[in-house]
Amino acid sequence: MLSIRLSYWLALAVLVVGWFAASCSDNAPREAQPQQADQPQQADQPQQADQQEQTVDAVERSLAGVRGIVDPEQRGWPREVEGLNGVVSIPAKPMRIITASVGHDEVTLALVPGDRLVAVGAVSKDATYSNAAHLLQDHAEISRDPEVIIAAAPDVVVTSPWFPIEVVDALTRVGIPVVQTELAQGPAGRINSILLLGYIYGEEERAFAFADEVRARYDALIAVTHAQGSNPTVLALTQYSDTLWVAGADSTEGGVIVAAGGVNAAAEAGITGNQTISLESVIAMAPQIIIIPQPIAFGAEEFRQSLLDHEALLEVPAVASSAIFLVESKHFTTLSHWNILGAEALARMLWPDDVFEPPTDHFSLPE
Amino acid sequence: MALSVLTLRTRRDRRSASGVRQSFRQAHVTKRLAIGLSTLSLLVLAIGLLALALGPVEIPISRVFWIAVSAVGIETSGIVRTEQLVIDQIRLPRIIVAGLVGMALGLAGATMQALFRNPMADPGIIGVSAGGALGAVIAIATGAAALFSLSLPVFAFVGALAAAFLVYGVAVYGGHFSMATLLLAGVAISALLSAIVSAIIIIVPGSEALRGILFWLAGGFDGRSWEHVRIAAPLIGVSAAVLLLLTRDLNLLMLGDDEARSMGVSVGASRVLLLAAASLATGAAVAVSGTIAFVGLVTPHILRLLLGPDNRVLLPMSALGGAAFVLLADTAARTVIEPAEFRVGILTALVGAPFFIVLLIRNKRQVHSL
Repeated sequence: MLSIRLSYWLALAVLVVGWFAASCSDNAPREAQPQQADQPQQADQPQQADQQEQTVDAVERSLAGVRGIVDPEQRGWPREVEGLNGVVSIPAKPMRIITASVGHDEVTLALVPGDRLVAVGAVSKDATYSNAAHLLQDHAEISRDPEVIIAAAPDVVVTSPWFPIEVVDALTRVGIPVVQTELAQGPAGRINSILLLGYIYGEEERAFAFADEVRARYDALIAVTHAQGSNPTVLALTQYSDTLWVAGADSTEGGVIVAAGGVNAAAEAGITGNQTISLESVIAMAPQIIIIPQPIAFGAEEFRQSLLDHEALLEVPAVASSAIFLVESKHFTTLSHWNILGAEALARMLWPDDVFEPPTDHFSLPE
Repeated sequence: MALSVLTLRTRRDRRSASGVRQSFRQAHVTKRLAIGLSTLSLLVLAIGLLALALGPVEIPISRVFWIAVSAVGIETSGIVRTEQLVIDQIRLPRIIVAGLVGMALGLAGATMQALFRNPMADPGIIGVSAGGALGAVIAIATGAAALFSLSLPVFAFVGALAAAFLVYGVAVYGGHFSMATLLLAGVAISALLSAIVSAIIIIVPGSEALRGILFWLAGGFDGRSWEHVRIAAPLIGVSAAVLLLLTRDLNLLMLGDDEARSMGVSVGASRVLLLAAASLATGAAVAVSGTIAFVGLVTPHILRLLLGPDNRVLLPMSALGGAAFVLLADTAARTVIEPAEFRVGILTALVGAPFFIVLLIRNKRQVHSL
């Protein structure tokens, strides 16, 4: 009996040793690979050091101008950022993130793997409004109840200025760092948001690479739009429950119009932000192009047809030339880099004869 | 509290019944009606013309005049087609809808205040406004408002009438009808419907629907067309005709049920007819304008201070006064921050409330005697 047991244990020991030896032999080439790769690198060591220095310098230069970063030199933890709610210290690289707005969610998902975003608002999961909805369907949902947010155990919460201040206070009291940041308009604002959020998440390198990607998309667009001779007037017009809305200066849609090389007709008429107007004001503004950044589900097609059919609008240039376009609402209303897609689409409408194809209809995601 | 107000008003009304009767003398009424009607009609006409002449598209007043002349079939020259379309298709229907809504709210407010003998009664007291709001909010939140151009007013109108029927059903439940029960049921159901509206506002996804709901609730006339006129005009016209025909009955009902009955009034039928007509007018108004607060409360009060409590004078005056008030508010709403627009409902409250308070302070004694 004892001999049977002994032989059993011996056989098991042989198997384990054999598996270990096989594992070691499998690993051998993998370990050798970096060594082989290191060979030429060692030969070019001064050049590589220069490149590394340049990259670090570039990151630091970029971070030095970023609004919200208290000390761009501080790359360790804890680090401080200045939000709209004051200076906030982030103790360690946050692995569980909550951002309570669609725009913040969209930027965050471009910087960190999706599983680090632990919960999102319901709107971020709705494809009508969110450009990142397809990445968020399995994410937990949060409300603005502080207890719900606390239950998700976030390491950091990044919110918009519209997030209730009492919720910010409640989260701060239980020791959760909350940073209220504004997602500013325009290309420079977008780059700033990307770098600031990248710094908050401890993902500066990814933020820098992604900022380059976004900047390149803007530059490619500007190269086309600046080459054009004239700038058509564009009116971003929507209708919700019989009320007409236009987007004037300092509006998200207005920023997209300007980025696409158009002249914002509402801003020219003195309107700031999103305002209601009468149909008569559309006649007075006389836009050459009308875009309707309104979801189809909210009657965008019917609204377009009603504009084309309205007898009093027949002499409005956009109506006379049928230059009334439905556009993807979420590309025009979100406060994130996804606006570029709206600007690219609008540029194609403004100058249909010019060949202008954007590189892709999406952005890169972090590894 | 509402019941005690009713009781107090009833006793006071009985004490002053003889005075009221005296003030109802026909010659006196006819004279006041003639003066009031001509004055307020001229005022409505003047505000209407002003509204017709003002807007983001600058049209010289002379051309507005000639366009108006051509509209009644007289051939004129020098009319610019676009200007004519702006007036025909945009300004005129909007002005008419605003006038109709003001008229409906003024009439319904005066009727409800007289019927309930309660100075706090407004056109929406039996849940009509809250029902209309819920109907519209459901249409916007579910996307039904985008199905066809008039789906929103249809939903609002159905909501308003459903609420009125519900309140009336509660009041007549068990076979015994009382105005106090009707009033309290109206308050309760309005609160319930408002809570549902709030719940929808909280859960509705996306800013677009929320924006649509909030702006509808603030009331306005932007984008009103001849289709809205065609919806509102017959309903408000029929309601107004019924209410104006029943002013004598309304006067007698103010003296108390027994007195009214002794004077030949079919109390139950008249009251139901008055309630139904006032609710129909309010429902139609809410359907095409959203909730425009304060007009139905303030206009009859101000006119009562000026003209006395006789409903034969007060109701037609309230109709014209309401029309003038809403027209003026809408003209201001579309011109004050031009080319952007303000919400009429906000403006009527912002302007109406302080004006009303000043008037109340200056006329404390008169108000007490009403």
